[in-house]
Amino acid sequence: MISLAYSFIVLPIISSIFIFIIPKKRNELFRPLTIFLSLVPLGLCLYMFINQDLKSSFIVVDSISWISAYGISLFIGFSGMSFLLVTLNCLLVLLSVLSVNQTHGESKGFLGSIMLLQASVNGVFLAGDLVSLFIFFEALLIPMYFLMGIWGGENRRYATIKFILYTVFGSIFILAGTIYTGVLSYQSSGAFALDFQTIANMTFTENQSKLLFLLFTFGFLIKVPLFPLHTWLPDAHVEAPTAGSILLAGVLLKVGAYGLLRVSIPFFTLGFLEYQFLIAFLSVFGIIYGAVVAIVQIDIKKLIAYSSISHMGFVMLGISAGRYLSLEGAIIQMINHGITSGALFMLVGFLYDRRHTRRISDFGGIKKSMPLYAAIFLFTSFASIGLPGLNGFVGEFMILMGSFPTFQILSSVAAFGVVLAAIYMLWAYQRIFNGQLNNDENAVLSDLNPKEIIAVGPLLVLMLFIGIYPSFIEGYVVQDVSVIFETINIYTEVSK
Amino acid sequence: MSAVAEAIGFNLIVISPTITLVITALILLFFTITIKTNETVKQVITICGILFTIFCVFLKFGLFLQNGISSYFTQKILLDEFSLFGNVLISLILLFNFIPIWESSSLLKEKTTEAIILILMSAAGFMLMIDSENLIMLFIGLEIGSISLYALAGLNRGDKLSNEASLKYFLLGSLASCILIYGVSLVYVSFAVQSVYNFALALSYVGPDVVPLTTSIGMILIFVGLLFKIAAAPFQSWAPDVYQGSPTGYVGYMASIAKVSSFIVIARLCQVSLRLMPNEFDSFFLIVVILSTIIGSVFATVQQDLKRLLAYSGVVQSGFILSGIVSGVNGTSASMFYLFTYIIQLTGIFAIFSIVNGRLSSDFLIEGIQGLIINNRFLATTFCIFMLGLAGIPLTSGFVSKFILLTNLWAYEKYLLVTILLLSTVAGFYFYLRPIWIATIEKTETPVETLKLKKTEYLLISSLAALTIFFGLVPSSLINISRWVVQSYL
Repeated sequence: MISLAYSFIVLPIISSIFIFIIPKKRNELFRPLTIFLSLVPLGLCLYMFINQDLKSSFIVVDSISWISAYGISLFIGFSGMSFLLVTLNCLLVLLSVLSVNQTHGESKGFLGSIMLLQASVNGVFLAGDLVSLFIFFEALLIPMYFLMGIWGGENRRYATIKFILYTVFGSIFILAGTIYTGVLSYQSSGAFALDFQTIANMTFTENQSKLLFLLFTFGFLIKVPLFPLHTWLPDAHVEAPTAGSILLAGVLLKVGAYGLLRVSIPFFTLGFLEYQFLIAFLSVFGIIYGAVVAIVQIDIKKLIAYSSISHMGFVMLGISAGRYLSLEGAIIQMINHGITSGALFMLVGFLYDRRHTRRISDFGGIKKSMPLYAAIFLFTSFASIGLPGLNGFVGEFMILMGSFPTFQILSSVAAFGVVLAAIYMLWAYQRIFNGQLNNDENAVLSDLNPKEIIAVGPLLVLMLFIGIYPSFIEGYVVQDVSVIFETINIYTEVSK
Repeated sequence: MSAVAEAIGFNLIVISPTITLVITALILLFFTITIKTNETVKQVITICGILFTIFCVFLKFGLFLQNGISSYFTQKILLDEFSLFGNVLISLILLFNFIPIWESSSLLKEKTTEAIILILMSAAGFMLMIDSENLIMLFIGLEIGSISLYALAGLNRGDKLSNEASLKYFLLGSLASCILIYGVSLVYVSFAVQSVYNFALALSYVGPDVVPLTTSIGMILIFVGLLFKIAAAPFQSWAPDVYQGSPTGYVGYMASIAKVSSFIVIARLCQVSLRLMPNEFDSFFLIVVILSTIIGSVFATVQQDLKRLLAYSGVVQSGFILSGIVSGVNGTSASMFYLFTYIIQLTGIFAIFSIVNGRLSSDFLIEGIQGLIINNRFLATTFCIFMLGLAGIPLTSGFVSKFILLTNLWAYEKYLLVTILLLSTVAGFYFYLRPIWIATIEKTETPVETLKLKKTEYLLISSLAALTIFFGLVPSSLINISRWVVQSYL
């Protein structure tokens, strides 16, 4: 079991080294090899789903002494929630490599960077202490920098620098929080013990708890992103290459929410109770704001980027409500959003590869030339809107239902986000696919080829599967949710 | 009788690294003047000299194990952990910089040996400075080292910028030396002591509240002289011009050796005497650190010349290292770790610069590094590693050093410093990532000729990059060493 947990971080790194050492002349080998290599971690995930009991709260499986003089060790472990996210990451990496176009598929730098990104994101989800969490949190910037910088769009320099500076600015708060926690831990135990077990057993005064909550949460919220901190996201999404967008929306945004659920809320609950309302307010503002801005977008990718802000707002609302149901819904919505927005970005990428434009007004009536594509896009849009029977409905319904007792007005307002989602998605669908085929270029567009169907197919299956049978995911997150919920309960009663 | 002989033997071991360097320089000088020798012989002599210096440092280490902290030559030379650490660092700097230095010097034709002699002499001077217990000795060592550096900066006589750099460095450097020696004399005036330890003893007699004004001023002036050498703001104005003008092959050596020796001396002075001084000293250093990080970060973001950018980044890094040194014992140990890793990154960067920019050329516009990824993939990769190391991204030694430094500062409750240093890290990401962007991402219109490296250069740069990553992944051993350095002050 020990070696298996490490392999999710080590295997992608080895894969990327593999890719880098193949001579450049054999460029036709890169993509098949990457697909094969990224099948291995996914296979391991499936193996663990079948053979291990993953329905648990966080268990540390191994540790390495890192700085012995300060007593800092690095821990690795997982819970049901982190394992689901690791699986999502491995799946999305595989599918995004499947979906990349010719240019990217023949560049070893591109594929190697994706592998490194996979390693560091897996590292965040499997980290068992604050230091390794921070290390992986910041290490994922390097592959993302090159992915966006080298293979990005026209305005990529601005977007990349903005993305990096925003994240680094957030991460210095996390670093400060880590250091502060370490010093407090040193004062109580004589070592900079920063593993989750030790921190969970530490007691913080109210002020310490508030300060630490603010430090960690601010860093994570930039990554989510919550409403006033979101401005890097549309730029980054528009400029990133398709595979980068899929991973950015699919897993990188989850890193922030995961940090809140793993660190901020269970450890610094007093601070959470203090700022609960503020976060919920901003989330609801973000839900409405993201949706309204999405309606008026003329670029499809930007539209989906703003819809991401809206959907992640739901996740944040569920988290900040702190109810059992809403927390469960938030985690399920995290997975759902990863699947749905990953699929949407992939579909937009397919269209962009054919037409080299993303302006909605350039299209119209392409349902006639690409019927299958239109059907898949509609299906994914329904999942994104939250049509009952598909995955989006489950998460949003649980969140709204769960958060209503805590924030009655806010969650009532948030419910309008679902209506707005229907407006922006369906209107965009209408403008792109329905109507007359006026443009000759659109008339000759070819429908999806088998390779693309294979890339997007698993996501469609998952949307339907989770929509019909959500308790499959629920079973894996129950333990995590109950740990967080009980901590919140205890502190709520204490503060009363 | 045997006691006397033993004493003389000990004395010689203590300064044996310095003597070895001087003798090597003299042998080279002798060969140059008298017998016509080819390059290889000189190269072998120099390498043997450096290796023998390292051997002598080992001898000193043995002596330290036997005698502990001890002073020699009637309290002029000191043997303690700081001096051993400094000796090791200087030997390593000579070793790491040997290849860029030699490659650059061989282009100077008849002045090849001249440059090597200057370098050996400056290393000898700085070693003496590190070993000094007596404040006059400190001054002498500093001057021997610095004067050679002034000459090194102007070695490329045909280049206007090089001449300017040399003159500027000389004028401002001598001003700093004047300030330093004036401070030494003021300290002597108040207590009639020259030894650092006797000075601390005298201070502990009078107590921090009644320290004479002359002493306070004297100490501040000594620190100003030393802060000039590490290019801490507001004494940083020479650094960008000197870095830009000096022959690129030498800048790595010049920057690192002056920084290492001055930091070690500052660290020792602070450890011995700072807690006995009035509290105003803390605010003096606080201002220096804050100014260094702010001025360095702000100016580094707008530089169009890579060497100037590195100079301003050096100002920021000096602020980081200084903040640890002045905050306490554990902070000093973190700073020593920081110093070690910083030197490795700096040497690596300038080794790359000297290959890309031409070894003797002066200014290095940021466009000069464009398309490095196409010209030489190896250089581009290692360049990224060093730059990311300086920025302090995890998995490089830069992150570990910043992390433990900030941890110590937080433990000392220096929240203002932590805040400013953290913010400067964000600025750092901006200005360190810009050259990476230009080197790896921006496309060049005209293909430039591919850069050919010698095997030794491959070895040097790859081992420095490997060290940068190694200390980022497995920092424990070096951290233990850095804690050993300050053990006697714990």
